[in-house]
Amino acid sequence: MTFDTEYLTKEDGRYIILYTFDNDEPGEESDKEEPEA
Amino acid sequence: MNQLRWDPVLEEWVAYAAHRQDRTFLPPAEYCPLCPTRPGGFPTEVPRERYEIAVFENKFPSFTRDAPEPEEGGGPLTPTRPGRGVCEVVCYTDDHEATLATLTEGRIRNLVEVWADRYAALGSLDFVDYVFVFENKGEAIGVTLHHPHGQIYGYPFIPPRPKKELDSARSYRKTNEGRCLHCDLLAGEHEDGRRVIFKGDHFTAFIPFYARYPYEVHLYARRCIPSITDLGNGERRDLARTLKRLLTGYDRLFGFSLPYVMVMHQSPTDGGDYAGTAHFHIEFYPPNRTARKLKYLAGSEAGAGAFVMDALPEQTAETLRAAVEEAQSLRGPG
Repeated sequence: MTFDTEYLTKEDGRYIILYTFDNDEPGEESDKEEPEA
Repeated sequence: MNQLRWDPVLEEWVAYAAHRQDRTFLPPAEYCPLCPTRPGGFPTEVPRERYEIAVFENKFPSFTRDAPEPEEGGGPLTPTRPGRGVCEVVCYTDDHEATLATLTEGRIRNLVEVWADRYAALGSLDFVDYVFVFENKGEAIGVTLHHPHGQIYGYPFIPPRPKKELDSARSYRKTNEGRCLHCDLLAGEHEDGRRVIFKGDHFTAFIPFYARYPYEVHLYARRCIPSITDLGNGERRDLARTLKRLLTGYDRLFGFSLPYVMVMHQSPTDGGDYAGTAHFHIEFYPPNRTARKLKYLAGSEAGAGAFVMDALPEQTAETLRAAVEEAQSLRGPG
């Protein structure tokens, strides 16, 4: 999955990061196998 | 401003941030600072009409990037340090009424991605030794804002509890042919089974044998990985699924949205080697003993550091397991 970020700076100098995603529900992304423990 | 004072008796740093006394306390919903900024409304922390997930520096931080040398110099036994670090707020959604439990698995999956992104970003800062992701939920825990959100602290030291956990794991590894303490604990819980709440594809939720809260749950990655950034796609998806499953079960337990403290324990970011020592997991500490009774940290817990419990984990696990299954059946498959 991928996401975009938008960085803004507030008047008092603090940052804010806005995340937006290209998927909203599971099942839309490709999966890869992980080894079982 | 932000400063650290050394406690030579317990050998721990204590953080001071006196300005936090002035932070916003349980404002009415229409003045929630974590909601989006509505047209014509008051400006909140998030200058957008809508958002998915927002992360920003805490207005009332316990640590700051530019903390100056403390005016109070301390003494030989009690040195001080600048409270240099980072404190972020993570707004899970722009929906004021939501909770982590009511978000869709897809939304929680997105949040997992944000947690991993911030762990990597804050962990790369040379003054951050430990990235601590957590959530305080519910007035019983002392939250000051109801909007669904968590926090991330970038500590300039490894905090005492994770440090003790890492020390124990390191010691165990030395005397047990390089084995991971957490992997062996998890194997023991799987073998016993009585305290396992459920097993996902890649995570297991269980009440530990030595739980300090009646419904304390640990969510362990079954693969021995040090941090959230090491999770693959399938594991991240399963983490979202297991969080949803556990939290809806928590809310089913007593019939209301259960307060809790949620914490992530993972590898420090101080440049050390923690492979086989740090094992990524999440711990939940709900304060409720029953629907109406809370577990307080009183004399023995607060003064002696010794928890005294009145319910056995085997019993509470059975009750919670039933609640999780009920909630799952109400949600339907998936």
